[in-house]
Amino acid sequence: MKTEDLKNNKDYKYGFTTDVENVRSPKGLSEETIRFISNIKKEPNWMLEWRLKAFNRLKVLKEPDWQKPKYPKIDYQDLYYYSAPKSASEKPKSLDEIDPKILETYKKLGIPLVEQKRLNGIAVDAVFDSVSVATTFKDELTKKGIIFCSISEAIQKHPDLVKKYLGSVIPISDHYFATLNSAVFTDGSFVYIPPNTKCPMELSTYFRINASETGQFERTLIIADKGSYVSYLEGCTAPMRDENQLHAANVELVALDDAEIKYSTVQNWYPGDEKGVGGIYNFVTKRGACRGKNSKISWTQVETGSAITWKYPSCILQGDNSVGEFYSIAITNNFQKADTGTKMIHLGKNTKSKIISKGISAGNADNMYRGLVEIKNKAINSRNYTQCDSLLMGNKCGAHTIPYIKNNNATSTIEHEATTTKINEEQLYYCNQRGLDQEEAVSLIVNGFCKEVLQQLPMEFAVEAQKLVAISLEGSVG
Amino acid sequence: MKQNYDFKIDKIKNLSSEEISLRKKNLDLFYQTGFPNKKDEDWKFSDLNSILRNNFNKIVNNDFLPREKEFKIIDQFEHNFISLFNGKLISKDFSYEEKNKILINNFNYKDNLVLDSKNSLYFLNNALATGGFSLEISKNYKLKKPLVVYNNFSNSLKEEIVNYKNSIILNENSELNLINYINNSSKENFMVNILENIKVKKDSSLNNILINNSKCNCYFYKYIKSDLEKNSNFENYFLSSGLKFNKFDVEINLNEENSNSSVFSALNLINKEHQEIKTRINHNAPNCNSYQKVKNVLNDESKGVYQGKIFVKNIAQKTDAYQLSKALILKDAAEFDAKPELEIYADNVKCSHGSTSGSIDLNSIHYLKSRGIPEKEAYQMLINGFLCEILEKLSEGKIKNFLKEKLERQINGY
Repeated sequence: MKTEDLKNNKDYKYGFTTDVENVRSPKGLSEETIRFISNIKKEPNWMLEWRLKAFNRLKVLKEPDWQKPKYPKIDYQDLYYYSAPKSASEKPKSLDEIDPKILETYKKLGIPLVEQKRLNGIAVDAVFDSVSVATTFKDELTKKGIIFCSISEAIQKHPDLVKKYLGSVIPISDHYFATLNSAVFTDGSFVYIPPNTKCPMELSTYFRINASETGQFERTLIIADKGSYVSYLEGCTAPMRDENQLHAANVELVALDDAEIKYSTVQNWYPGDEKGVGGIYNFVTKRGACRGKNSKISWTQVETGSAITWKYPSCILQGDNSVGEFYSIAITNNFQKADTGTKMIHLGKNTKSKIISKGISAGNADNMYRGLVEIKNKAINSRNYTQCDSLLMGNKCGAHTIPYIKNNNATSTIEHEATTTKINEEQLYYCNQRGLDQEEAVSLIVNGFCKEVLQQLPMEFAVEAQKLVAISLEGSVG
Repeated sequence: MKQNYDFKIDKIKNLSSEEISLRKKNLDLFYQTGFPNKKDEDWKFSDLNSILRNNFNKIVNNDFLPREKEFKIIDQFEHNFISLFNGKLISKDFSYEEKNKILINNFNYKDNLVLDSKNSLYFLNNALATGGFSLEISKNYKLKKPLVVYNNFSNSLKEEIVNYKNSIILNENSELNLINYINNSSKENFMVNILENIKVKKDSSLNNILINNSKCNCYFYKYIKSDLEKNSNFENYFLSSGLKFNKFDVEINLNEENSNSSVFSALNLINKEHQEIKTRINHNAPNCNSYQKVKNVLNDESKGVYQGKIFVKNIAQKTDAYQLSKALILKDAAEFDAKPELEIYADNVKCSHGSTSGSIDLNSIHYLKSRGIPEKEAYQMLINGFLCEILEKLSEGKIKNFLKEKLERQINGY
């Protein structure tokens, strides 16, 4: 696709590229690349060894192939594993030192990077390609003892915490993409909430893939110590390119006794054009461990972008009385494909989990919910409720549901419901009658269909997500 | 580690050299993988290889010489019957029906049934199967009485596997109530592997019921492939409690408009029994309905599995498909696994599934006890109500009563 075409394509308003000079790692996946990344980040030796261990493990692992959306083989030697704006190789000390072009980019994206917009009350860590560019509201958070910084900074300043928790939820030998991430991850966010602290604001990361031929491999680690609470938001965009780009992130959450983590994602990577050319492969591993008693982890995701979305944010409910939640909206249009869902693994007594999944497919898209609910023998008095609804628009798209349900004791209850339908013609007719055109009516009905999930999002994001839902379905009703 | 087995094709008599080489090819395909294990997605919840390894020393194929011919006829209702011993067709009785309307023969292995299955048990069946029957009902003929197929297995079967194939064809506008009755009461371990091909043609209706007479140590696998034409109806009832291991693998193809299919199952499992119902319903044409209801009561260390898949092709508009699986887990060592799958490519459809598993409602038990009913009976009453609901749609009164009685015996103990 030519640049001209890209400019004319208004469907994806984040499709611009930013012209900044980049520092890149040697091309391809090798020990040299890993040493390069580790070196440029001035990492301690134990971190390099950890990466190399993952790389050795990767050599024997095979790419999984059980997923529904198939993709052409990825040439891992043809990717750059590290790409950073040149100006960032020396970490800026204040926002004034950041390349104005990058600030401009974030402004276009609507991210309140500059603290003038502090009214928004959201602390942001922005990741541009492979490096974290800026973190806002640092002082205020530091006063409370909250650590919110890039993971590279955390490796240097808080090695004990990183050593203790990194890889404890997603081990380096987990599966192909998780292991790949462990070997080459470049940046990401680190959050530590000290005991009995309620984080006073929403923490947020904004990811942006800018450079071409790069994969983005970020790693997020959030630790909520005893009795703490944090709400974390994640947003992502990428420029329009006619090549497929790989995004393989790992997100690890750890909730100790009485702690609560709320993790919300609005994923709007470039989905490819109407013909299915280009777009991001979003192969992400997200997992949370409710380690302590009465802990809670809640995942909310709005997945509207990416050519292929393949991820299962999961909860391991280890502590007694812990709670896991998963709320998801996945919208696929044109040739997008999504294979997403969750895993709820009940290990502790009286654990509860709830899954609400809404899938919408239009055009030639394929949308799949795949999930596992497993109540182990010792997890007595546990409970799960699952609801997955799918909406189909047209007969070229597909909606699929594959739940795995395992109940292994006599005192636990699992309930699962799923439905697949199309938009009710009567509802459409009713809206049309009241002067809404077809597209507005569909957007209204779809928003109603997704309401249970949208309600879970923090307010500012809920508004954005609602708009996104409407935009994603533009042109799908004829 | 693979199961220890010794299969010999030369135990089978009267084979042409061509047949022998074909069977050898299939046996080689089986040897490549052995019995299915949990690495196979379809066998994820039922690792047959390890189940057999834990219960059999060595499995050999049966030589097909029926050693007895006596069996007890069901006397609760009048019926036609055919009887098989270890898969071999021994006798038949269609005295209630008109002559020449029903064609029954030994299964003809020359026109072998070909299924596009990659399952190793299918190859094993191709290699070793003998016996079985083919049944054809003439056009416009409705059987006056139900047909019972007595699947008798000799008490002398020990660490042996019996393989056979059946074929059932209902020609246009015909009707049949079919009861598969598994008859064995020995304490010995043995295995059965059946492939069955069913064709239900235009305007026809088939009720397919499976029940067993008593507890036995049978490891049972049956693959049913069925094709339905326009306005046809195909109902299945699986009441197989008592088999040590069982897996029904049912494929129903709704190939033309306005056909209906259903799968019902009620199981009460005890000890280490392990049973699985696996279905694949392919909606290949518009306006078809499918309905599935699977109920399990799990005692002791038993395991119940339901893997159901509904596939709706993009032209199959106005499909109405439903799956429901419910399980009562009574002991902590019992387990229920389910995988109710939907794969849908048409938008004007109504497809849904539900799955629940949990313990029995203690408030209901308390209610019954407070009215003077002992706890054990209260449990039985609730289980009875839970399972017998499956039979409600069955119209044939006498069969219904017979099945109800059997089901009650399965619940209250043989």
